[in-house]
Amino acid sequence: MYATEEALRHKPGFGQTLREWIFTIDHKRIGILYLIGSLAAFAVAGLMALLIRIELGSLGPTLTSNPGTYNVWLYFHGAAMILAFQIPALTGFLANYLVPLMIGARDMAFPRLNALSLWLYWAGIILALLTFVIPDPPDVMWTGYPPYSLKTGGNTAFYVFTVHLMGFSSIVGGINLLTTIFYMRAPGLKLNKLNIFVWSTMGAFVLQLVFIPVLAAAVTTLLFDKYLGTHFYDPANGGDVLLYQNLFWFYSHPAVYVILLPTIGMIFDIVATFAKNRVFNYNMVVYGGIGGVVLMSGEVWIHHLFTSGMPDWIRIGMMISTLLISIPVGLLMIGLLGTLYRGAIQYTTPMLYAVGFIFLFLIGGLTGIPNAMTAIDLYIHDTHFVVAHFHYVMAVATTFAIFGSVYYLFPKMTGRMYSETLGKIGFFILFAGVNITFFTMFIVGFKGMPRRYYDYQQFPQLEGLHHIITIGAYIIGIAALLILISWIHGLIAGKKAPDNPWGSKSLEWTTSTPPPPGNFRELPILTEEWHPYGYGRSK
Amino acid sequence: MNEYAVEHEISGHEPHWETSPWPLVLSMAMLFVFPFAFSLYFVYGKPIMAILSLGIGIPLTVLSVAGWISEGVGQTREPGYSVKAMPFFIVAEAFIFVAFFVGYWVMRLSASSWPPAGTPEIALTVPIIMTIVLVSSSFTIHLSEQKMEHGDRGGFLMWLIVTIILGTLFLGLSMNEYSHLFAEGFNFKTNAYSTAFFSITGFHASHVFVGIAMFICILIPALMGKMSKSFVKSASMYWHFVDIIWFFVVTQVYFWS
Repeated sequence: MYATEEALRHKPGFGQTLREWIFTIDHKRIGILYLIGSLAAFAVAGLMALLIRIELGSLGPTLTSNPGTYNVWLYFHGAAMILAFQIPALTGFLANYLVPLMIGARDMAFPRLNALSLWLYWAGIILALLTFVIPDPPDVMWTGYPPYSLKTGGNTAFYVFTVHLMGFSSIVGGINLLTTIFYMRAPGLKLNKLNIFVWSTMGAFVLQLVFIPVLAAAVTTLLFDKYLGTHFYDPANGGDVLLYQNLFWFYSHPAVYVILLPTIGMIFDIVATFAKNRVFNYNMVVYGGIGGVVLMSGEVWIHHLFTSGMPDWIRIGMMISTLLISIPVGLLMIGLLGTLYRGAIQYTTPMLYAVGFIFLFLIGGLTGIPNAMTAIDLYIHDTHFVVAHFHYVMAVATTFAIFGSVYYLFPKMTGRMYSETLGKIGFFILFAGVNITFFTMFIVGFKGMPRRYYDYQQFPQLEGLHHIITIGAYIIGIAALLILISWIHGLIAGKKAPDNPWGSKSLEWTTSTPPPPGNFRELPILTEEWHPYGYGRSK
Repeated sequence: MNEYAVEHEISGHEPHWETSPWPLVLSMAMLFVFPFAFSLYFVYGKPIMAILSLGIGIPLTVLSVAGWISEGVGQTREPGYSVKAMPFFIVAEAFIFVAFFVGYWVMRLSASSWPPAGTPEIALTVPIIMTIVLVSSSFTIHLSEQKMEHGDRGGFLMWLIVTIILGTLFLGLSMNEYSHLFAEGFNFKTNAYSTAFFSITGFHASHVFVGIAMFICILIPALMGKMSKSFVKSASMYWHFVDIIWFFVVTQVYFWS
């Protein structure tokens, strides 16, 4: 069943190693290749963010006097951060790496399809990077609203196909993962003993399967309208511009939960491990929290369109449903806090990121409430207040969870320990940087700064605050570099990691470090008493 | 549920770092077939380059699909997971159609008069014939599946080939109808109805095409003596789905006017 010791000791040559990596169909290696791609996307998109902030740092044209160039930066920043960094890091890297290990399976149900979704994603990255090379690059933000996206001279087709490649990659991955979770669990692993992360991944992929096709249809019709001359979004010929906004946000609001669910699931696992505590209210978290978010996520999208000319009865209804979705999200938060309560907490780097996540997510969540209320939203819609809100709640909080998970899994993935000191320094600088940047952005937004403006001659009094935001952006950049250095340092100079450095009860830590092909020496058979969070109360 | 895991464990093989080049080749081929060819033709107006891009992409696609199948058919252990996975894919596919239909309904229900000006009389006999062809192909693939279950290889192959022929006939009828409509000046650009008509029927036709491609991917290895029952079952499930969608297309786009 298991590779012989002799086979393991045999060292493959460089060419063979490279072939084994590039053509791999093993879920752990695919996961790591996903991580590399998403971190690369994060780096480039982060650079775009820095360019955007330098441009806004002072009044008047700073880096460019061409608003079109600014639009391309915004396009790349938004599209790459969401489609090429967050979703792949969560549903590509973490789900691929962890789910088969957590459910005690040898691999995914379809290893080749798994590789296909990886390389489709990479094809999407290639397409996104070509933005910088091709003439007339796409400049339609990550939303691609018509009529601008139809009238612009930019290459909207590249935007559409990037979405298609990433979307198809997610759908293929989703089918694969759901089949794996349903049919490949180790004997004795009942559904109510799954890690929260596995549950939340399941929820995220159910959302992907249902909602991505709608986005695919929306951008496809955009393509038809622009290049084949159909009239979906042409009011002069019976089309409807708002139709696109509805279809787009019908996917893209649930996409927020696609990002949120695995994030919070991972945070649950980290918190339970380092608080050495069972997950508080497991059933309520799974069925009420994750299940509730999945069920309600498709009924709130109009809150993105409060100023788009919706009838009042829809706006009021969607305001209520938006406020109601804070109940399942609240259950998840209560679960997290309850898990911390009376735990034996160790503040390692991953735990710091988890706690940081809770704080940032709380700020993001609370500032979501005024955004959800139609009357207030009419005033703050399309201002920097909204930008700050969604950066807190999905950009920054999620990035904290992703970095935390990379630290958490670092020993398992690489077989080496990272340096706690370097990790903690990186964390605190990042934490300071994001709060300086995005909290100031709330204030700027509330004072009326609109989003997507490349200059703000009308608001000269905001220049000081914009300076502060730009300084914060630099601090984030420095922190990102430090974090990267801490990983490289760990890879090169880290101590050898034991199989279970964190003392976790979860299945992925029972195999050797790093896990061999086939994951487990013998397929785990789980007893009645076993539970991934089975830490005794007495500890 | 878990008996699957256990069964595969018994027939499992020595774990090593498994590799396959085909997923990588297929994804890169997709880049040439769709984004590059489309952009070169429609955005940058370079038809020769677009054909060149297709000339790279299509052979690579065929090669990688063939390579993939020859690897996969030999390795898949029965009962395979593909039958379990196909329902998930069908859910995703169904929602694309939902979105297209929503687009159609929005345009239709907000229109002052329907069909809009410029719409020719669309003959209803053609869609009836197409319905008959597609429904009977659903029966033939079911027969083929049953023959396979009973171990009747000849019957299985025969009904599979009949299904492929019926599917191709359906596509031929569809193309024929399109060319007649084009000749009458009814094309993508005409009006809101033509927009919905060609996108929905065209999108459905592309699914028929994918279904036929799946059957060919089953037929060729089967003729060479290799086959996987789960592939056949899941392809047939997909075909039934395409058939069901056609009922919506026919009632909504052709008959409701």
